[in-house]
Amino acid sequence: MRSGDSLPPGDLPRQFASRMELQATLRQLFPEAVGDLSPIRGGSQAAAAALAAIDPAAYGRSRNHLDGAVTRLSPWIRHGVLSLVEVREAAFAWLQRTGQPPQAAAKLINELGWRDYWQRLWRRLGDGIWHDREPLKTGQAPEHYAAALPADLLEARTGLACMDGFVQELHSTGWLHNHARMWLASYVVHWRRVRWQAGARWFLQHLLDGDPASNNLSWQWVASCFSSKPYLFNRDNLERFSSGRYCRVCSAATDGTCPFEASYEQLQVDLFPGAGPC
Amino acid sequence: MLKPVLWIHAEALGPANPALVAHPGTPAVFVFDRELIVQAGLSLKRLGFLYECLLELPVTLRHGDVAEEVLAFARRHRADGVVTTAAVAPRFALLRERIAAQLPVQVLEPEPFVELPEPVDLRRFSRYWRRAEPVLWGRAGAAVPPVPARRWDR
Repeated sequence: MRSGDSLPPGDLPRQFASRMELQATLRQLFPEAVGDLSPIRGGSQAAAAALAAIDPAAYGRSRNHLDGAVTRLSPWIRHGVLSLVEVREAAFAWLQRTGQPPQAAAKLINELGWRDYWQRLWRRLGDGIWHDREPLKTGQAPEHYAAALPADLLEARTGLACMDGFVQELHSTGWLHNHARMWLASYVVHWRRVRWQAGARWFLQHLLDGDPASNNLSWQWVASCFSSKPYLFNRDNLERFSSGRYCRVCSAATDGTCPFEASYEQLQVDLFPGAGPC
Repeated sequence: MLKPVLWIHAEALGPANPALVAHPGTPAVFVFDRELIVQAGLSLKRLGFLYECLLELPVTLRHGDVAEEVLAFARRHRADGVVTTAAVAPRFALLRERIAAQLPVQVLEPEPFVELPEPVDLRRFSRYWRRAEPVLWGRAGAAVPPVPARRWDR
């Protein structure tokens, strides 16, 4: 921190010569916090720039793709730097400005609705969002899931280029594309058979937009305790929406050991032998 | 409340925070919640993001027990109350109650994304959305556009 700050005792500094200096100060203030600063900056100026750049139509067409025109507004929305009202009005203003039909912004408005829905549920459930909303539909008892995340996952050395890539991105940037979150969560819960709560806590440690309601209830949706069936994906799906960037460099993709290389019907049988047909 | 201080929290870190808008120039404080940070194991990335948001707001930064720090900040400014903005986290209600045991607390509500009369059926998103979507698009003067039903493509 800069010398010359004359602050009342206990007030934290507000003057920094650089981001490196901010990071060094944060390390002193919060010695228990792991890692470095994210390359994504906080603040309303960065938020305003991101909001000005949204393209709701492109978002609607491409949001499921890792290279799609996603808005990346979530960290600022989560912390109220931007409100859902401001984003909603920006989307409506975009429609007016471009003369596009309402359909062009429908998907973005729908996703803002998901955020509002999770917040309404949190208000109603409180800390109940940490408990299964419904029984699992996987045919597995909750106690058959491990309580902790495996070390190879946390160290990004599962040998699966996609999953290791997602873990590295989560740890270094604090942001993941929503589809990557779903794939990673599904892998953790269904392939590694870990309790969703362990994964949810891990995400909240790292995601800049980590919101207990959106996060936990989405993990429950993946796990099947807040949906009618578990969320699964296969290699075809991941390869298509990632333009093959992981499979191209993954030894498991070429040596026949990719655990995602199967039809949905086969995965259902392999992963949930005790479950009824979906 | 004639001379309040403002309590800023991590759900309202924008310049549109209703407490900041309603009381410009009033002393404001944000407290990094020591217990929560340790219990949740928050990474430096998350704390840094919050810190950078806070550096753009006219707010004093503290670290420790939130209720104690807000009350100490109020004493420091000889305040007769605390104004803040509503938050959803259950922890907010606990902290607000601890502060309110010693000083009046006024909680300002931000504008809702969509106004729906209670009770709202939240069993599934589809039930909520059936109610919310027409209200939202009504604001834009438009009918509800058709949206693909599936959220995640296989």
